[in-house]
Formats: sequence, C-alpha cells, structure tokens
Amino acid sequence: MALKTEEMVLNMGPQHPSTHGVLRLELVIEGEIIKNVTPHIGYLHRCFEKHCEVMTYPQIIPYTDRMDYLASMCNEFGYVVAVERLMGIEVPERVEYIRVIMAELQRIASHLVAIGTYGADIGAFTPFLFCFRDREKILNLFEITCGARLLYNYIWIGGVMHDLHPDFIRLTKEFIKEFRPNLKELNDLLTFNQIFIDRTANVGILPAETAINYGITGPNLRASGVNWDLRINDPYSIYDRFDFKIPVGKGENGTVGDCWNRYYMRILEMEESLKIVEQAINQIPDGDVSSAIPKRVKPPAGQIYSRVENPRGELGYFIVSDGSVNPTRIKVRAPSFVNMVVFGELCKGHMVADVVAILGSIDIVLGEIDR
Amino acid sequence: MEQKSVKRRKKDLSFLERIYIPEILKGLSLTFKNMIRPKFTIEYPEERFIPSAAYRGRPVLIEENNGDERCVACGLCSRVCPALAIEVQAAETEREQERYPEKFEINMLRCIFCGFCEEVCPEEAIVMSKDYDLTFSNREEAIYGKDKLLVPVNQLQDRIDFLRKYK
Repeated sequence: MALKTEEMVLNMGPQHPSTHGVLRLELVIEGEIIKNVTPHIGYLHRCFEKHCEVMTYPQIIPYTDRMDYLASMCNEFGYVVAVERLMGIEVPERVEYIRVIMAELQRIASHLVAIGTYGADIGAFTPFLFCFRDREKILNLFEITCGARLLYNYIWIGGVMHDLHPDFIRLTKEFIKEFRPNLKELNDLLTFNQIFIDRTANVGILPAETAINYGITGPNLRASGVNWDLRINDPYSIYDRFDFKIPVGKGENGTVGDCWNRYYMRILEMEESLKIVEQAINQIPDGDVSSAIPKRVKPPAGQIYSRVENPRGELGYFIVSDGSVNPTRIKVRAPSFVNMVVFGELCKGHMVADVVAILGSIDIVLGEIDR
Repeated sequence: MEQKSVKRRKKDLSFLERIYIPEILKGLSLTFKNMIRPKFTIEYPEERFIPSAAYRGRPVLIEENNGDERCVACGLCSRVCPALAIEVQAAETEREQERYPEKFEINMLRCIFCGFCEEVCPEEAIVMSKDYDLTFSNREEAIYGKDKLLVPVNQLQDRIDFLRKYK
C-alpha cells in the first residue's frame, strides 16, 4: 500500500502548450497519481450554432471551416452532403471525385499535425518539423486549387468553387511519391522508437466496451479494436468505389487501445488515404464542376441528420429547415467534443506526466469542442 | 478506493535496448541526412512568397485606366458577406454606369477572405488580390476606405484571367 498523501487540485491550462488550445484541466491529484480530471471547456465558444440561424445556407460554409480548423475540407464536405441530401441535389461525377481527393488529402494533413504535435508533446521535436514539412506540401496543393491554405471555402452546395488547377493531378502524384518514403522515415524515427514506445504503450488504455459506451468514434475507437468507419459502414459520396482497408488496433506494443495504438492508427490511416487519393486521381472523369450549384439554396421544410467520417471521428450535422433561406436550427455532433468525454476515465490512476500523453493521443481540436 | 497505476514497465529489454544508444543514433543519423537535403523553408521578410493566381488575399476594388471605379454600388457584396465586413453607400454620377460607390469600406478585422464578394459581383469590380501581410496598429486603421481599396486594373490582370477561365 502506497503512502497516503493529501489530495491537491492542480490547474493545467488554459494557457498551456500541451493542452492543444485553450482547455483547462482541473486535476485532483494525490502525490503524483491522478484521482480525477475535470475538463473546463468554452474558452473558444463562438456561438456557431446560434449564429447559423441568421445566415443563409452557403454563408455557413466558411464558418464550418472554423470548427475543426485542421480539417476544414472535411467539415465543409459533411455540411454540404447534409444540405444536398435535404434538397435532393445530385452532383456531377467529377465533383464527387474532387471532394474525395480533397477530403483524403486533408485527412493526411490533419493526421500529420496530430502525430507531429503528439511527438512534440512528449519530447520528440524532430518529427514535428518533418510532419509540418509534409503537411506544407498538401497545403500548397490546396492553395493552387482554391486559393487558401487553412480555411478553404472550396466545397460548395452542389459543386466546388472552381475546377482543379491543370497541374494539380501531376503535383498530387509527385506528392504521393515523395510522401511514402517520408512516412517510412517517420516510422523509423518515432513510431517504432523504443523510447517512444516505452512512453506511450500501456498508457491510457481504452477498452472497446468503454469506447462504445462513451460514443467514441474515429481512430480512437478503431485503436480499441472496433472495426467502425463511416466510409465503409455508412458510405456517403463515392467511397464505396474505392478499395481500402480500415486499420484496427491490435496492440502490437502493449495493450489494445493504449496511447501507442491510437497514435499508430493515424499512421496506418494515412497510408489508406494515400491509396484512396491514388485511385481517385487515376479515375477522375472530365466534366463540369458548377452545373449543379443552385442559384438559391432554399431547402424544403424538413430535417436531416447526416454524418461523415472526419479525421477525428463521426462529424454529424442535424439541420432543421422551415423552407426559408435560413436554417431554423443546426446542431453539430463534433467528434472532438465526444471523444473528450472519456478523457477523465483514461487518466485515472496515471501520473501527472501521462495526462499530456493521453490528451495528445485523443487528438482534440478546441475550435471544434467549443464551436 | 485503492490507488493503482495502470502503467506496466517492460523489464525484459536486452542490454542494447536498455541503454537506448542505438535509438539515439538512429535519430541522429536522420538529422545529419537532412542537413544535406535541399532547404524547404524560405527566409520570409527578405525572400517573399509569391502566390499563384488562385490565391485569395486582400479584397480590392478595380480602378479603370481613366481613374474611375468599376463598381456600380449594387451592394450585393455587402449583402452576401458572411462576416458583415463591407459597407457601401451609392451615389449618382454623370458617367455611363450612372452609379458609383460614394463610400466603400471593408473592415479588414472582420474580413475572413472567403471570396464570396468576388464570386457574387456582377461587374467583376471586386477581386481578391495577392496581398497577404496586412498589419495595423489600431482598429481605425483596419477599416480600409476607397483610397486603400482601389487598385489599377493592370495589376490584377492575372486574377481576372483566372476568374474568367475557372468560374
């Protein structure tokens, strides 16, 4: 039996480099051991859902960018799919392919930030720079296509803003060729590094049952050994046409569902995303990209819940329309927000230093938690 | 509640694994390899990044060759702006287009560079330029009036060509 000490409350954040934004964690600790964690959120609240009620449907797209700002394309994609289903719009083939290519490139970029900052959180700074270098190449691709590097406003209801740059296909192929060896380098440097494995394996174990009970989605759920991906289980857009696997956590270096597994899922997912991008750019048909964009976006009265697989999990939009140009209500099911709930459970019994490792492995974006 | 640490330490590492030197060397070899690779970064203030024609920088108004503004002050940009950054006040004029903006202000603290104003403009009078490093020292300075917004048409030719090709 360890020595009993008095309980102490330790505030971590909101200005803390490892809380990935303005998040305050109230840690109840007994010596080094964590007894309880209460996350305090809301520092970045911008009233997204309320604000949507006074805006027209297309005007909301730039605001969806600003939720999960590391995966703007995927946010737009989810919103646009929801509105299109509500209005019954069929988009041209080429648009579907462009959207899938963009979403998958964005997934790679987002995972690169996730694993880069995760390395930096627990003391490996070099992979961080390498990840950002590779992400930069993806951002360059986005920039020549839609003119922005972070907040794109590219995917519109019924189409995309404008067609691909003539060099886009060539540059994407070049990127894939360059990125594969870099990914291997990253594996050598960080993933299978014994120091990194010792630091993350068997830390913050999330059993599959707990993950399902808490509603965890995305790589965090798959790391616990549950095979669930909306791209396969509830296909939207044209994901059913591509051949790719869903990586599932096996606990190679520890227990299924530990921090290392959650980290490793993102590496594997990047490889799968590369496969999808490769197939999509080889199959992309010619055609018009703006023919299905409606002049006035005025969905019929009704409601819809539509979900897509974001880099962080299931992103759902619940839209209620009364037949006017403004939505009556928009509710967002943000994956980071739901994934954050299990955080306290994971931290119990660990050391204070492990909080950072566990938080980084859940990969939250505060812009999405607070909206 | 009994306190327990979930963390299990691996005790069965071999001697080489335990001293971690091979792992450190592996990491360092990559560092040295990258020293001789070509540089990826640019030294920003000295060396400027030149964006492509697709780039959405600061929105500007087009000034025709004779010094008049092309804008007819219809106010569509101001209505479509999701961030409510644009304020237009129309006035009559003797010119062919009959109306011109007496006052045209964009609050650059509000602007989110979404490009909707450019998209909706029927006259191609407001376009996104390539300016990206906007700095102000107070809020009044951030409200750009016509003096700062008007840019001669020949400086924006590649953006106009891009829009005609892709829109």
